[in-house]
Amino acid sequence: MNDDIFQRHSAFRFHGSWLEFARIAFPNLLLTIVTLGIYRFWATTREREYLWSKTEFIDERLEWTGKGIELFIGFIMAFLLIGLPLIVIQLISQGLIFRGETILAAVITLMMFLLLFYLTGVAYFRALRYRLSRTYWRGIRGGSDDPGFQYGLAYMWKSMVGWLPIFLLVPWSMISLWNDRWNAMSFGPHRFSATAEWKPLMKRYLLFYLVPFLLFIGAVVFGISMAASGGTPDALGGTGMAVGAIFAIIGVLSFYLFLPLAALAYYSKYFRLAVGGLRLHNLEFDFRARAPDWILFFLANIAIIVCTLGIGYIFMPYRNWKFFVDHMEAYGEINVDELTQSETVVAKHGEGLLDAFDVGAI
Amino acid sequence: MSTFFDAWHYDGKSAVRRKVEVQIIGTQFYLLETERRHGPFAFSDVEYVTHKVDADVYGLKATDGWRLMLSGPVPADLNAMLPARRNYGGWVDRLGFGKAAVAFTLASAAAVAIVLLSPQWLAPLIPDSVDEKLGDALVGDFGGRFCSTPAGDAAMKKLVASLDANPDDLQVEVAKIDMINAVALPGGNVILFDGLVKQARSPDEVAGVLAHEIGHVREKHVMQALLRQMGLAVVLGGIDGNSGALVNNMLSMSYSRESEAEADAHSMKALGGANISPIGTASFFDRLSEMDGSASSSTSDNGIAGYMSSHPLSRSRKDAFEKSIVKGKNYKPALTPTEWTELKTMCTQDRKAKSGFGFDFN
Ligand SMILES: [Zn+2]
Repeated sequence: MNDDIFQRHSAFRFHGSWLEFARIAFPNLLLTIVTLGIYRFWATTREREYLWSKTEFIDERLEWTGKGIELFIGFIMAFLLIGLPLIVIQLISQGLIFRGETILAAVITLMMFLLLFYLTGVAYFRALRYRLSRTYWRGIRGGSDDPGFQYGLAYMWKSMVGWLPIFLLVPWSMISLWNDRWNAMSFGPHRFSATAEWKPLMKRYLLFYLVPFLLFIGAVVFGISMAASGGTPDALGGTGMAVGAIFAIIGVLSFYLFLPLAALAYYSKYFRLAVGGLRLHNLEFDFRARAPDWILFFLANIAIIVCTLGIGYIFMPYRNWKFFVDHMEAYGEINVDELTQSETVVAKHGEGLLDAFDVGAI
Repeated sequence: MSTFFDAWHYDGKSAVRRKVEVQIIGTQFYLLETERRHGPFAFSDVEYVTHKVDADVYGLKATDGWRLMLSGPVPADLNAMLPARRNYGGWVDRLGFGKAAVAFTLASAAAVAIVLLSPQWLAPLIPDSVDEKLGDALVGDFGGRFCSTPAGDAAMKKLVASLDANPDDLQVEVAKIDMINAVALPGGNVILFDGLVKQARSPDEVAGVLAHEIGHVREKHVMQALLRQMGLAVVLGGIDGNSGALVNNMLSMSYSRESEAEADAHSMKALGGANISPIGTASFFDRLSEMDGSASSSTSDNGIAGYMSSHPLSRSRKDAFEKSIVKGKNYKPALTPTEWTELKTMCTQDRKAKSGFGFDFN
């Protein structure tokens, strides 16, 4: 039996409603507060259960089978394995500074930083692995047999290489790490193949990179043209001053406006290229959101949070997931007879490391 | 034996969706396809997975991806064999949302109370060797900033001996740092800053401050504060970022007032026992509160600000010390004029001691 994907609508469809989500999010918020935050692991799990079950791929909903306790254990492990040693190391290095051994203290602090850097990479990898291993479609799940320790090293050196030439190779490191991550993942018997290219990303990146310079040049040109037109503050009087002030405000605003916009434009291209380079057996993927979609999405999020005095924050997981699924697209075909169960190991604990570092997964 | 028709099944081995009938035989059941029979499966192995569209989804223990999806009205005999639906998870479902919220609130309040109160009982249980090692690790030789002259050391020794019954397990030092401050650290370490000694108008003032710090040591405040801080970090670790740190600081601040009062009481008792007048300490606080009131913005140096932040409410403390004066008691100076001069000029005389500080206290 072959399930061809009809192109009338996307292979991915989201059926959730924010009212239904609110009935999950508000009790979650209350329970999280009264448990001093401990419930948030179960809260996250309930939200994902809802979002996954409202996500249809071709003709069947996804299932999230992660458990709150897994995330909780992951958090405890991260605290015991990383948090406590960090506190001890900090105490030791403070003691060393007390004793005047500044160089040794600096070395220890640097080592601590490198270790954290490495673990951040491992955490990114393991979060993706955890999510795939808990996501089921037609009784089949994903996963990876790679523990991610190698990826941690790649994360370190590729990020460094990205930063070294005055941050110009950041697009290369981002795409290359995305490919590394996804090439280690699988769903059912099939391995993902990620072959995104980084060069098409450079134009957008340079735009983002050059925004501060362009704005500065614009301001200078504007100043010169004002001077050349002979308008001195004296001649123009009060109105001249007012116009000058308005332009100054616009200048500052545009800095805070253009920079995030340029960053979003870059990120939208990055995500499109990254997802576009992804394959799973006979399936190809595509992410259709373009820069204006991202910008609208971003502005709407801010508006929701501001207008609800911050409470709207609890809807962000819903909005993020909806945005993601609404723009995901898949082409090709799946042979459900061939799509057999994943043989990958199932880690017993969740995104503890990631949780500890407070970074997102995709 | 009964059969239920409207069921779908994934066997977890492949993604093929199977329309099945559920055939119940005692505590076991078979899933019947047109040409195949799956099972038998034990009802005791069945677990609730999730709710999807209009179907309840069940899994099977130890069979990855096995799914049974039942929609529509499920017959009573089948329903009775199936596990309960999960909504919030474990405890919350068992108690009900309202009761669970109340129970969690009480448990959280109890946890915070334990963390705030237990250090008082726990601190004395920490072995002295641990306390000493921690003190050594933290203080060491203080980066060579301790001042020492034979006569100055002798004067300090006499002062400590007059204020404490077991002066041997105290390490009192004067550090060449121009700040009006004094600290008590683990392992019986008390450090007076040279700035405080220099500005004192009589040895009685230094005696009062020193007795206060010895009070911190004897009441085990340092270890208490450390334990409390660690406990709060664990309990409030669940709350993200800033709000957690804020609550944490507020709770530990309110505690430190209490221990300041205890240390003051200890100081007054020690002064009384040594026949040293508390009027010196009172006038010291008087001067501090004047500096705090009038000069906090303009001429204040970091010295006063430092002492004020760790030792608040100078004026009310001054009153307390004044009240502890016993009329008609024959007070004698804490040190002879020669001893006082030696102590006061110790850091000026000791040229080997390093000055200044390359670290921050808090
Ligand atoms: Zn104190």
